[in-house]
Amino acid sequence: MAANCYVVTAHKATGVTSCVTGNFTSGKDLNLILAKNNRLEVHLVTPEGLRAIKEIGINGKISVMKLFRPPNAKKDLLFLITMRYNAMILQCHGDSDNFDIITKAHGNVADRIGKVCENGIIAIVDPLARVIGLRLYEGLFKIIPLDKENNELKACSIRMEEIEVFDIEFLHGCANPTIILIHQDVNGRHIKTHEISLKDKEFTKNPWKQDNIENEASMIIPVPEPICGAVIIGQESILYHNGSTYVAVAPPVIKDSNVCCYARIDTKGTSYLLGDMSGHLLMLLLITEENADGTITVKKPKVELLGEVNIPESITYLDNSVLFIGSRLGDSQLVKLNKVADESGSYVSIMETFTNLGPIIDMIVVDLERQGQGQLITCSGAYKEGSLRIIRNGIGIQEHASIDLPGIKGIWALNLASTEGINDTIVLSFVGHTRILTLHGEEVEETDISGFLSDKQTFYCGNVNSELILQVTSFSARLISTRKKQLLSEWKPRADRTISVVACNGSQIICAAGSELYYLELIMDEIVLKKSLTLEHDVSCLDMSPISNVDSKYEKSEFVAVGLWTDISARILKLPALEELCREQLGGEIIARSILMTVFDGITYLLCALGDGSMFYFNMDKNSGMLSDRKKVTLGTQPIVLSTFRSLATTNVFACSDRPTVIYSSNHKLVFSNVNLKQVNHMCSLNAEAYPDSLALATDNTITIGTIDEIQKLHIRTIPLGEAPRRIAYQEASQTFGVITMRVDTLDNGVLCPSRPSASTQAQSSSQSTLSSLTLVNKNNCPVLPDMGTEIEIHNLLIIDQNTFEVLHAHQLPPNEYALSIESCKLGDDPNYYYVVGTALVNPEESEPKIGRIIMFLYEEGKLTQVTEKEVKGGCYCLVEFNGKLLASINSTVRLFEWTAEKELRIECSHFNNILALCLKTKGDFVLIGDLMRSMTLLQYKTMEGNFEEISRDYNPNWMTAIEIMDDDTFLGSENHFNLFVCQKDSAATTDEERQQMAEIGHFHLGDLVNVFRHGSLVMQHSGDTTTPTHGCILFGTVNGAIGLVTQVSPPLFDFLHLLQEKLSEVIKAVGKVDHKFWRSFNTELKCEPSESFIDGDLIESFLDLSQKDMELIAQSFRENPQLLPFGKDNTNGGIKEEITVNDIIKFVEDLTRIH
Amino acid sequence: MSVSEFLETLPSYDKNNFSRFHTDSTNRTCVKRPSVYITTEEIPSEQIIVTEKTNILLRYLHQRWDSAQNAVQQKKRDQIAENNIEDAIPKKRLRIELNTTGL
Repeated sequence: MAANCYVVTAHKATGVTSCVTGNFTSGKDLNLILAKNNRLEVHLVTPEGLRAIKEIGINGKISVMKLFRPPNAKKDLLFLITMRYNAMILQCHGDSDNFDIITKAHGNVADRIGKVCENGIIAIVDPLARVIGLRLYEGLFKIIPLDKENNELKACSIRMEEIEVFDIEFLHGCANPTIILIHQDVNGRHIKTHEISLKDKEFTKNPWKQDNIENEASMIIPVPEPICGAVIIGQESILYHNGSTYVAVAPPVIKDSNVCCYARIDTKGTSYLLGDMSGHLLMLLLITEENADGTITVKKPKVELLGEVNIPESITYLDNSVLFIGSRLGDSQLVKLNKVADESGSYVSIMETFTNLGPIIDMIVVDLERQGQGQLITCSGAYKEGSLRIIRNGIGIQEHASIDLPGIKGIWALNLASTEGINDTIVLSFVGHTRILTLHGEEVEETDISGFLSDKQTFYCGNVNSELILQVTSFSARLISTRKKQLLSEWKPRADRTISVVACNGSQIICAAGSELYYLELIMDEIVLKKSLTLEHDVSCLDMSPISNVDSKYEKSEFVAVGLWTDISARILKLPALEELCREQLGGEIIARSILMTVFDGITYLLCALGDGSMFYFNMDKNSGMLSDRKKVTLGTQPIVLSTFRSLATTNVFACSDRPTVIYSSNHKLVFSNVNLKQVNHMCSLNAEAYPDSLALATDNTITIGTIDEIQKLHIRTIPLGEAPRRIAYQEASQTFGVITMRVDTLDNGVLCPSRPSASTQAQSSSQSTLSSLTLVNKNNCPVLPDMGTEIEIHNLLIIDQNTFEVLHAHQLPPNEYALSIESCKLGDDPNYYYVVGTALVNPEESEPKIGRIIMFLYEEGKLTQVTEKEVKGGCYCLVEFNGKLLASINSTVRLFEWTAEKELRIECSHFNNILALCLKTKGDFVLIGDLMRSMTLLQYKTMEGNFEEISRDYNPNWMTAIEIMDDDTFLGSENHFNLFVCQKDSAATTDEERQQMAEIGHFHLGDLVNVFRHGSLVMQHSGDTTTPTHGCILFGTVNGAIGLVTQVSPPLFDFLHLLQEKLSEVIKAVGKVDHKFWRSFNTELKCEPSESFIDGDLIESFLDLSQKDMELIAQSFRENPQLLPFGKDNTNGGIKEEITVNDIIKFVEDLTRIH
Repeated sequence: MSVSEFLETLPSYDKNNFSRFHTDSTNRTCVKRPSVYITTEEIPSEQIIVTEKTNILLRYLHQRWDSAQNAVQQKKRDQIAENNIEDAIPKKRLRIELNTTGL
C-alpha cells in the first residue's frame, strides 16, 4: 500500500511575511529582500524601479528575517530563522547580476523540551552585531554570541522570569548588549531592560524599567544613537522612554486600529513610519532638543496620518520617498510619499502593485468557456483587501480595437509612409481578393496601393525595405515601389503552374507550385530565380526564417524548411543549391501545415505543426541544419499556423488554432502557454503609432488589435470586493457565482454603518433577513448589541454575474449571524437550482455556536428570493449536495436532509461521532468528514436503511484544515502544522477492527497551510493525450497564496522519481544547509517522521535548471540502477533496457512540468 | 514640525533611484518572478551554530556549585593568608585539608 503522490507548486506563495532593505549584494547596491513563506526574493533598487534579481528557496518556513552589519563590514549579512528553528547567517558573494549565497553560519537552535511561545518566534540582532537574541520558548531567552574567532557559535539559554512577553528589542548605545521587553503580569503591562553578560551568559542587571504602561502596548521601536532609548507603541498612546526621560502622547489618529509594523527612515532615528491593521500609513516623528552639553532629549513623539495603503505586514523605506509595503492579507505595493497632499488629503501614491493571492480561503474550478480548460476562482485576501481572483493557465490579450471582417485568410502589417519600424498599413487576404487598410491614429480606412494586385488572394506580403514591398499571390511574386507607386519586377512560375505555398524573408523567397520548388532572390530591385527543384511529393509548408541572427530583419537564410504531403516528412534544404541536409519522417497520416525555424535563448528549434493540432519540435544545429531531440506536443484540435512575433524584446511564436498558444522559452525550456482567446486563424505583429507593440489577430469574423501581457504561465485577474470573501459556489443555471462575504461595520449612535464602500454596499439590489422566525433565538440567546464604536462583522450573500463579475444582488444577514458555508444544488424532484447557505449565530460568551440556520435561496430572473429556512442546533460549517439530498455538518454532527414536496428540509439521518465536523466531501454513497482535531472519518450512506454507517476512521489526532477524496479507498488531508497526509481504507482486511482503522500510507511536510482542495486541472485536457504520466489531479490553495496540485503516479515511476529526488537533494546544495529530508518530514508537536510516499515536485523540476554537467552526474547514477527506468520504450529490445540519457530525464521532467 | 516638513526630510541615498520609473501607467501590476538561485557547489560554513543542550536549571546548579566552591576556596586561602601571618603553619598540612574538602 503506497499513496505514490506527486505534489508540486503551480503558483508559488505570494504573501509577504517580512521585508528588509540594505546593502546585501554589494556595499553599493540597495536591495529589497522579501520573505515569502519558504522563499526569499532579492530585488535591486534601480532608476527604473525595483528589479527582481534572484529567488532563493530555503528548506523551511521563514519565521524572522533580519539584515545586520558587523562593525567595519562593507555590506550587510542576512540572519534567518525558520519555524523549525533552523538559524542561518547568509552572505552574498559577487555582484548583483551573478552572485553566490554563502551560508556563513548555520545550525538548529531548537530545545528538546520547552513550551513554544504563543506570540511566535522573536529574533533580534544587537546593533553592534555582538549577539543575536531569540525568544523561542516561554521563560527562556536564547543568545547566540557572534564570536568571530571560534568556528562554533555557541547558543545558550538564559532564564527570563517574564512569562508573557510581547516584544523584545536591543537598545542602542549600551556598553553591554541590553534588551528591552514588554511583558504582562496580573497587574498589567510593563517594560523592563536586561543587560546581558556574554561571558557569564546571564542577565546581569536591570538598567531601568517602567511598570504599568498602556494595557495594549505591544511594539517596541529601539531608537539609535545619539538619541537612544525606545518608543513603545500602544493602542491609544505612544511612549518614549530611555530610563530617565518619559514622554507619552495619545494621538487620536492611532485609536482606529492597531499599529502592526514600523519602518525606520533615517539613521538619526527621529523619523519612522507606522502601518496599522486598517491600512493606514502614519508618520512618527520624535521632536528633539539639543541640550547645552550636546546630548539630545526627546521632547515629544508626533504622529500624523499620511494616507492609506494595503494592510501591511511589514514596511521598509527604500530611497527617494519610495516605500515597499509588504502585505500578507492583500497585494504588496511600491508607494511614493508626495510632498503635497492630493484632493483627498493623502500623501501616498501607489507606484506598483505586486499580486498576492493569499490568504486563499476558498476556491472553485470552473470551465466557463467550455474549452476543456479549468479556471480557478479564489476567495482571496482579508478585510478591505478581499477579492476574487480568476486564475487560468495562459496569457492574456488586452483587446484595444476590433474590426468585423469575415473570411480572412492572411494578415500582414506594412510600413508604407511612416518612419522605419512603425506600421501604418494592414494587408488582409481573402479568397479571391486582398484588401488594404491604413491606420490613421486609432482610425482605420480602406485604401489602394498602386501596383498592388487586389483581385487575387495574397499568400505573402511584407516590406523588403522602407520603400519596397513584396506581394506573392497564386499567380506571381511582385516587387512594388511605394515611392514610385509602381510594379518594379514580377516573377511567374511556368504558365500551367500556380503558386501554392510561399515563404519569404527580407531578401529571399521560396515558393512551391505542387512539388516544384523555386528559390528566388531580390537583387537590385528585381526578383531573380536562383534555383528550382522538383521534389517527390507536393509541398505542404515552407519556411526560410533567418536563424543565424534573428535580430536583423533583412538577414539572409542559409536553410529552407519544407513539409511534404504523401510521405509526411519535414526536410531541411541548404541554400542556394536546395540540397537536402536532413529528413525527418513525422509518421502518422496527418500532414504538416506549418513549419518554422526559430531561435530561443540561443537555441535553434524547428517547429512543425500538423493538421490535427499537434506539433513536433526539434533542436536544429544552426551550422549543419541537422535535427535532433524530436518531441511532440498537442496544442489544439485544428490545423495550426505558426508565426513569430516580438514581445518585450524577446522573440516568441504564436500558434494560431482553435486553442491559440504562445510558445516561448524559459530557462532554456520551451513553454506552451494558452492565450485567453477562443480561436485565432492568422496573426501578425503590429507596431502602429496608436497601437504600439501590439498584435493583430484574425478570427473567423473579426480582426482584434491587442497587446499581450507579460509572458507568464498563470494569468490572474482581480475582482476587488473591498470586503472579505469566505466561500464561493457556482450555479450554471443562473450563470452566477454565490459568494459569502464578511465586512466590518462600526456601531455609531446605535446604527451600524459600513466602514467603507464595498461589494455588498454597492450591489445593484439588496435585501436583508431577520432572525424573528427562529424559535430559540428570542428566548435567551438573543445577542446584545455591543457598545458604541465597536466593530461588528456583517455577513452577506453576494450573487455575482459569471461574465461581468458585477454584484447583482447582496443579501445581508443580521449582526452576529455568520455565514459559514454555501452550496448550489438541485434537490429531490424539484427542477430549481438553489443557493443554500449555512450559518451560525455567534454569541461571544459561548464557546461554540448553539444555533444556526440553513437558508435556501432561489435566484431567478434577476431576483433573489428566500425559499425556506431551517433552524439547526449549531453552526453549519459545511454543506454538500449528496444523492439529491442536502448533507450538512452542524457542530459535531453530520446530518442528511431530504427536500420534501412541501419545500421543506427534513432530517433523514445523522452521524454524531465528531468534535467539530469542519469539512465534508462525498463520492457515490461515501461521505468523508474532516474533523477539527480527530483527523478523517469515512461514512457510508445506506440507501435502503436510510442511515449512515461509520466505515473507517483515522485514529491519529490530526487537526484538519481541508480534505479530499482521491479515489474510493484513498483520502487526502491537510492539517494545521502545514503537513499533508494520505489515508487508505482497507476493505480487504480480515477483522472488523482492521477495517475500521484507516492506515496512514503517506505523509509530507508542505510548509504551508492548505485551506481548500478541489479536483480539477489548470491545463487543457486533451483527449487521447498520453504524454502526462500522472493520474488524477487535486488543486489546493494556501494561506500564503500558493496554488499547488497533488497527483498520483505509477509505482515504477514513483521509484524513479524518488531516486531522482534523492540525487537532486544531494547535488543541489541547500542555502542555509537545511537538509531536504528534514524539511519535508511530517512534523507536528507530537511527532516527526520522514516524508513517505510523496515526491517533492518542486525539487524534481529544479533538475531542468541544472548545468549539463550536473545533469550528467545524476543520469550516471541511474545507469547504476537500471531497474529503475520507467520508460516504456525500453522494452522494445527484448526486455533489455537501454541506457538512460540526460535527455530522457529532461524530456520526462518537462512532461511533468506540463501538468500545471 | 508639520507633515510636509517630515516629508521634505526623507533621505535620498542615490538621487537616480526611481528617477526613471515608468509613470505612464500609474498602477502597474507585477507578477513576474525572478530566476531561481540554485547552487551545486559545496561551500562549507565558516561557523556552525550549536545550541547548549544542558538544561538551564542544571547549568544554574553547576554555576552555584562552582561559585560556592570558589567561595570556599577563597575563604580557605584567606585563612591561609591570615594563618601565615599569625603562626606560619606549614603549607603541606593545609593542602591535604584542601583536597579532602574537594572530594
